[in-house]
Amino acid sequence: MSMKKSCEHQKDCMKLIQRILDKEASPEEEAAFLANKDQCIPCQEGYELETSLKKAIKEKCTAKCPDELFARIKEKLFLLIILISILIPLFC
Amino acid sequence: MTMDVQVENEIDPSPQARLIFEKEFMPHLDAMYNFALRLTNDEDDAQDLVQDTCLKAYRFIHSFEPGTYAKAWLFRILKNNFINDYRKKSRGPSKVEFEWVEQSFAGDDDPEPSHQADLHAETVNEMLGDEITKAIQALPVDFRMIIILCDLEEFSYEEMAKILNIPIGTVRSRLHRARALLKDSLATYAKSKGYGADTLSDLD
Repeated sequence: MSMKKSCEHQKDCMKLIQRILDKEASPEEEAAFLANKDQCIPCQEGYELETSLKKAIKEKCTAKCPDELFARIKEKLFLLIILISILIPLFC
Repeated sequence: MTMDVQVENEIDPSPQARLIFEKEFMPHLDAMYNFALRLTNDEDDAQDLVQDTCLKAYRFIHSFEPGTYAKAWLFRILKNNFINDYRKKSRGPSKVEFEWVEQSFAGDDDPEPSHQADLHAETVNEMLGDEITKAIQALPVDFRMIIILCDLEEFSYEEMAKILNIPIGTVRSRLHRARALLKDSLATYAKSKGYGADTLSDLD
């Protein structure tokens, strides 16, 4: 079986690939794509590219919340709660 | 009388509210900070944005329905906070950014980018430094936002539509466009650095 070197519906395929990787494609769409993928070079390359890109974004763009921010938020909230606990009885 | 009703509605000092805050909201602090950092591109602004979001979330804790997805609810508050307060801060660049985005959004039926970026999986895998982070930071904020929500936080299209307050079709087309731009910019970068070519030794 010969491999397709160009894909006549590549634009649609690229959209479908993204939806598959985003887990938004139906099982039928996914199955149909995977069955065709082996015979189409652009689809294979597109699939690999989108997979790598998604994985790289997930790995590289992660930052952890600084501990001092966590502490500051809890402190502010605590003060707010105390303040309100004092204020509410005053108005009632 | 009206006054105490107002105060009571705004802040709930009850143990239940505090429990919701601790159990449902706090676990998403890292994700919120990361999202804020990607939106503002500034650590101090990101910290302020997260803090404002948390306090606002607590004030409006009554409108949170326990059992629903707290993370999506928090992200929506964060995004609104960002649009209302932080985006105004830097008028100059964000105006340009806005016009740029508007222009490229000229109708959601706008043709999608027709060409395919000349980028390969191997090239992406070779990018071990902060190239990808930088390319994302350089995207207009609406595109940056949707890529982070989807690829990093793994929200569904439906959840993103709610967070961003846009139709699901727009989520799809914006995401596709954002990725096309990202690939374009990575392809240009890779080419300038000689990635994927035979001149790998030229890398700095």
